Amino acid sequence: MKSKIVWIQGVTCNGNSHSFLNYQNLDIFLKKVEFLYHPLLPSKYSLKELSEKRFDFDILIVEGAIKKSYERGIVSLNTLMEKLSIKARKIIALGTCAAFGGVFKSYDEKNIKGLIFDGEEKKGFFKELEKKVINIPGCPAHPEWLIYVLNMIEAKKKILLDDFLRPKEIYAFTVHSGCVRNEYFEWKVDAKSFGVKEGCLFYEQGCQAPYTHGSCNKILWNEVNSKTRAGMPCLGCTEPTFLKEELFKTKTYMSIPANMPLGVPKRAYLTITGVAKSFKIERLNKRLIDES
Amino acid sequence: MRVELIEKIEGEAKLEYRFKQDKIDFVKIVFPHYRGIEEILRNRPVWDALAINPRVCGICGHAHLFATVRAIENLYQNAGIDVNIAEKAKLIREITLFCEHIQNHLKWIYLVIVPIMKSIAKINIDQNSFLEIQKAIVNINRVLAIFSGQWPHSSYMVPGGVVCDPTHLDILQARNFLKNALNIVERRVFENIVFEEITVAELEKSKTDSGKIFRFLKENSLLSIGKANDRYLIFGEHSFTKRVKIIKTVSYPVKMKYVNEKSQKSGFAKNVTYKSNYYETGPLARMMLLKPNLIKQLHRAYKDGISTRIFARIAEISFLFKIVEEHLNSIELSQKSYNHIKTDIKEGYGESAVEAARGSLIHKIWVEKNIIKKYEIITPTQWNLSNGTPQKPATAQKAMIGLKNGKLAELVFRTFDICSVCTTH
Amino acid sequence: MAKGSRKEKRKIEIMDTALKLFSKNGFYTVTIADIAKELEMSVGNIYNYFSSKDALAKELIMYISKILGSNIRQINMEKISAKEKIEKIVRFYFSMAKERPELIDYFLRVYLSHREVFKDGCEGMICVSPFVTEIMIFFEEGVKNGELREQDFFSAFGLFMGYLGGMVYLKGEGMLPNDLDFYINSISENIYRALKNEE
Ligand code: SF4
Ligand code: SF4
Repeated sequence: MKSKIVWIQGVTCNGNSHSFLNYQNLDIFLKKVEFLYHPLLPSKYSLKELSEKRFDFDILIVEGAIKKSYERGIVSLNTLMEKLSIKARKIIALGTCAAFGGVFKSYDEKNIKGLIFDGEEKKGFFKELEKKVINIPGCPAHPEWLIYVLNMIEAKKKILLDDFLRPKEIYAFTVHSGCVRNEYFEWKVDAKSFGVKEGCLFYEQGCQAPYTHGSCNKILWNEVNSKTRAGMPCLGCTEPTFLKEELFKTKTYMSIPANMPLGVPKRAYLTITGVAKSFKIERLNKRLIDES
Repeated sequence: MRVELIEKIEGEAKLEYRFKQDKIDFVKIVFPHYRGIEEILRNRPVWDALAINPRVCGICGHAHLFATVRAIENLYQNAGIDVNIAEKAKLIREITLFCEHIQNHLKWIYLVIVPIMKSIAKINIDQNSFLEIQKAIVNINRVLAIFSGQWPHSSYMVPGGVVCDPTHLDILQARNFLKNALNIVERRVFENIVFEEITVAELEKSKTDSGKIFRFLKENSLLSIGKANDRYLIFGEHSFTKRVKIIKTVSYPVKMKYVNEKSQKSGFAKNVTYKSNYYETGPLARMMLLKPNLIKQLHRAYKDGISTRIFARIAEISFLFKIVEEHLNSIELSQKSYNHIKTDIKEGYGESAVEAARGSLIHKIWVEKNIIKKYEIITPTQWNLSNGTPQKPATAQKAMIGLKNGKLAELVFRTFDICSVCTTH
Repeated sequence: MAKGSRKEKRKIEIMDTALKLFSKNGFYTVTIADIAKELEMSVGNIYNYFSSKDALAKELIMYISKILGSNIRQINMEKISAKEKIEKIVRFYFSMAKERPELIDYFLRVYLSHREVFKDGCEGMICVSPFVTEIMIFFEEGVKNGELREQDFFSAFGLFMGYLGGMVYLKGEGMLPNDLDFYINSISENIYRALKNEE
């Protein structure tokens, strides 16, 4: 039997819904599931029916942050969530807003939160649901991440989660791993400006990838690229701290990056940096593709 | 009064109808949500707007990014700072913007318009057609991502240019993805790439989904319903648009200072007028400027009724495919992607407009000591879906008044391609 | 080579002796044979520890850098203000200059003055990394907690270390009327004022 999914939205921009429509095997996937409700795709029930009808289903996907009084259809988001969360076997908080509060949180800190988490703290509006919830943060989340989780649920396989309830198979990596600028990171060669394929964005342009959990450079976006490959700093969108301030500049204290690569002690980092910087690797200090 | 909830329009809206003698006498449009983007921007460093604003909207985030970048560049220019964007960066910015439009319009046909048509009468476009079109969308978004890193939600345009530094190999890939998308779209939507030049008679005979949509409208006598004020506005300047209003097919220049935004008593959307008048913005406005044959003919016959509005959007798809391809062919890769600009602003103001998929999008920024003091966004849907009075109805209201039932009104409403999240940023 | 092993001890003895001889008679005058003689070892045996005089020179600078680094690290770990840390670093540096002048001497007169000896394998920060890393951490923490001003690392580093080195140099040349200790407070104060956050 097809698993039945209800996809609802809290405070959101619809980015996760549209990201989902980028899934390259959507046609195959939709043969295996049935959306009782989806914000974009044709689905069995209307929003009104969603709150009025009685029905069973398997998985609840929540996109967007929770603001209890937010209107959703003919009821409040809170009422809709209370009804649906009881029935759901599993709940997926899709995107950083649903997981942690996200971008819109800063408009109304007290009243906008994630399901389980409020930023880094386990103080979401539905924290009693913890056992059922899997967070798939990202602004937006990559469609492959969602499909993977849905497949694992369907196959009744155990999904290992980290402390923020994120599947380790996606978030145990840092976004930095797999970036085509890795050599420049190793040898501490910074990008001299935006708009060049040479150089790492960690030193000047604010790249947060070395301490951001995610697979953006492993499972490429739209199958072809990633922010950092294109030349844009990672904004750290899979983290509960998203969105920080001053995103296109690396925060430093006396020229030393304020944030270390994940799990790397500052002494170790500075030692390696000092050594790496002592060498000038010719190849990494000129344009990669030139006429000479 | 009867209230109807309209959903799957990038969120929801409510239509409050007043009927008189079995006809809609007046209708009010209410958007329930508010997310406070303009507040979130306040007191942040200027460039943070590049990261925040795409998140206004999941389907047109790129347009918001573009508007942000232009507003900040305008801020710098007003402060006497030289802003010099290489032709290459300009082309790339347009490529990604137009790709976003294409995917938007395709989703609109199959997820917004066809379903409501189905609920009115039979139309021979099956459920699975979207799944085929979705493959085109996947490919179009790949073209975008080659330059922007990803879609949705990239901030790859920065004041001074773009962050990417593509190679010929990237361009080649982009061209191939574009071609893949076009093949699918041609098969389903229009068989002829010069779609915008075909005649109404040819359209009526077409075996494609466009032909089916036309015949549906004709058979159900819907070709000319949904007429609005027949007044159009374009603010975003791009390679094929200029800043004009169009009244009775004649265009006149316009100025930003006459745009007026006002809060409404109910709901969170703000009303927008130009010199106190309501205008339509979006693909129909743009096609009224370009005047391709098909739109000229439709407009002559049905004015700004839904058939003209619907096919303007479809014609624009074909048109944009061509521009994107031309742009890809004319990028000069040896030019700089980005020119550094000095960015210190003591006090200043900047404004911008771009054409988003749904029409003119305006951003305004006020800055003190490099910090955003105030930010204002006027979205296309606000133009089209303002609320006027029964004496002076706004664009979409005018289009719905006089219709016999809520279903037809909803069809008309949806031809404007509503974006609830944008409207209530 | 396990730490504290006999071989390790012997190696340290060789290095300490070499440092003293270099300091007394000058780096270029002293040969491996001189060092062997002082230690009553065979020249061949010394080569078991260091393949050449240049290799010895490099190990020496790493040896000194580690000693300086581990002491400053102790100071870094204390829960005290940057101001107090500055004072402690100055005090430690001057006490080294007094108690083991050959170490600082080598650093200033050999490492910094004869870069040609160190050009292979000791480029940039490589051989002084334990020391420089701790100074970096000192600065970074000071800026992070708001006590010190954000600025370029090398501007701050030069101010701090150049100042201390200069004083030790003056002392060595017999140009200072007072003992180094006499200057600890005023120098610490000067450094602090130059680095502190004025906001
Ligand atoms: S740009 Fe970012 S992701 Fe790429 S190597 Fe540098 S730090 Fe890593
Ligand atoms: S690269 Fe960084 S900001 Fe971009 S999607 Fe990945 S985690 Fe988010």
